[in-house]
Amino acid sequence: MSSPEPIPPPNDRRGSRASSNADISVQDGNGVMVGGPPGSPSPLQIRASNSLNSKNRRRPIAKQPPDVHLLEYCHTPDSNLVCLICHSPFDKPVKLLCDHYFCRQCLEHAWAAQQDGEKTCPTCRSKVDVDKDLRPVPRIIETMLDELVVKCPNSKSGCDWSDQRANVHDHVMLYCVYTLVQCPSYDCRLHISQKDFHKGCLHYTVSCENCHTSMMMKDLEGHQRTDCPGRSTNCPHCSAEVLRLDFQAHVKEACPKVVIPCSGAVLSCTFTAERAEVASHQETCVVAKLAPHFQEQQARIERSEARLEPLSRRVGILEDGLSNITSMLYPANSEPSLPLSEPLDPTSLEAFPPAHLTAASDFRLSPNPFPSVPQNDVPQTTQPPFDSQIHHLLTMHDSLREEVSRITNALGELDGRTNMMIINESQRQKDEMLHTNAAINSMRMQLHWLMSATLSNRNAAGSSTARASASTAAASGSANSATRGASASAGLGNRATASATLHAPLRRLSDSTRQDTKL
Amino acid sequence: MALSNANNGATNVAARLQKELMDIMTNPTPGITAFPSSENLTIWTATIEGPSGTPYEALVFKLSFEFPATYPYSPPNVLFKTPIYHPNVDFSGRICLDILKDKWSAVYNIGTVLLSLQSLLGEPNNSSPLNGEAAELWDNDMLEYKRKVAARHKTPEELDAA
Repeated sequence: MSSPEPIPPPNDRRGSRASSNADISVQDGNGVMVGGPPGSPSPLQIRASNSLNSKNRRRPIAKQPPDVHLLEYCHTPDSNLVCLICHSPFDKPVKLLCDHYFCRQCLEHAWAAQQDGEKTCPTCRSKVDVDKDLRPVPRIIETMLDELVVKCPNSKSGCDWSDQRANVHDHVMLYCVYTLVQCPSYDCRLHISQKDFHKGCLHYTVSCENCHTSMMMKDLEGHQRTDCPGRSTNCPHCSAEVLRLDFQAHVKEACPKVVIPCSGAVLSCTFTAERAEVASHQETCVVAKLAPHFQEQQARIERSEARLEPLSRRVGILEDGLSNITSMLYPANSEPSLPLSEPLDPTSLEAFPPAHLTAASDFRLSPNPFPSVPQNDVPQTTQPPFDSQIHHLLTMHDSLREEVSRITNALGELDGRTNMMIINESQRQKDEMLHTNAAINSMRMQLHWLMSATLSNRNAAGSSTARASASTAAASGSANSATRGASASAGLGNRATASATLHAPLRRLSDSTRQDTKL
Repeated sequence: MALSNANNGATNVAARLQKELMDIMTNPTPGITAFPSSENLTIWTATIEGPSGTPYEALVFKLSFEFPATYPYSPPNVLFKTPIYHPNVDFSGRICLDILKDKWSAVYNIGTVLLSLQSLLGEPNNSSPLNGEAAELWDNDMLEYKRKVAARHKTPEELDAA
């Protein structure tokens, strides 16, 4: 009973998501236009209509996952894999320190009756610390459990699926058409098989027309198939015994005695006979062989026409929007056949609209997203050629939005350029500052050297000749520094000369001021 | 958690009792039978044979089991239907056995309970008797004890007749 693809429930969210994707992709296809077609919903609206709170949204389908303890096993399971509490093969087994195995759920139930701190192993009564002594079981045990073959929990309703236990959850939740889901009717609290979900609420009483027994509508088919005493009838054509339920299908598809036309009737074959004869006729009938191809072509043409209709409507809307933009951009222009240019970039050329210049302006402007419109398609009216004022406004709104985004881009670019310039400029300033600092530093070194030379000279000269020699040394120091081209240190040297003429302690003071100045 | 879910609990009890029935049918233990009543799977009737070498030798005792919705997490209610003279069984058939009370464990089943009762017949717990006279006679006057057991016993046929 396993179908290759999961059966999405009728109101499964996946379905609606897929359709919303399609809508959005259509939008993307129109992305080169200004906004979208005025009448189409915006992506926001699409998202809103797919949200949970939308009024289209039905309550979610809740399916009961299968209870592993109640599964029916195809073979008697190995007694070593059976939980001593529930007597069925382990479900999510755990191991206790005493090497006894139980289903986790069974163990929790057994311990629910015991006081905290007095939990014991149900088999050997050894004390168990719930937080520490629960261990996972060896992997091989889990694998053996997963490989046990079980029947579908819905086997009583007619599902004949059976497979490894590991797959039963997926089967019940995704594939099995007999899984019970909530009745689609809002005021009905009952459940119904997933295969009958699309039939609406079947929870009303009907009477079997053959045996006049009352039952619920959902049980009627099963009753007429297996239980009803008057369920069979004889086909009036071929006198075979068929179920009343299948009688229509039998006559339509299987009964060999029913008179039917040749399948080439669509292509004017007039042969009509019993089904068996028609079958042999169709072996030779050329028209009957062509019929399937003909029908396929027919269907394809119909599909194409159906697709064409919305497309032509959309083209009409777009053309209207385009002509409106044209008239908006060049309201004073007497020749609306001019190709459109960027709204923000009206050039002086457009003020003089001779026809031979249009090609040049086209070339010069940025790539034009709009196909040029033939002159006779654009009505020369002050009134925009729209279905309503709202369309006009929407189109205007969209073009304005486009302009705003273009301006935003330009602004961003400008901003980036300015930033770059500032960074470059400040980099240069920093470099210069570094150079200056280096120069100042070298000068300070020289000055330091000169000062220490002066001090040592004065110490060597002794106290009597101190004043004279100091002044000479200072003078020579200042001369030295002047020759090295640092005019600032010359001033400092003069100050040192002045301080040297004062008392010794005072020279120290001046020394410190000099330090400050240097720093 | 699931104990609160009465419906789920009931199906689990039924599932487990079905498996026990299957077990007993496929691997019968000598001297022990058990079968559910025809209309209710949670009420069973069982029989045990008195073990040889005890005063109950060759006697057959009928018992009734009543399983609560929380089985196997709480013990079944077990009664002797056949009148029995025993230190740990009173005159209405109620049994004083720890594993049917506070020492119950979820791994016990009908078979293990019946086996325990069978061994209780041969080894009564005289320190906490329900029937004090029987406990005293068991310790002091085995002949009189045997006479009382025989006097009190009824065969299943007699029970059905009554």
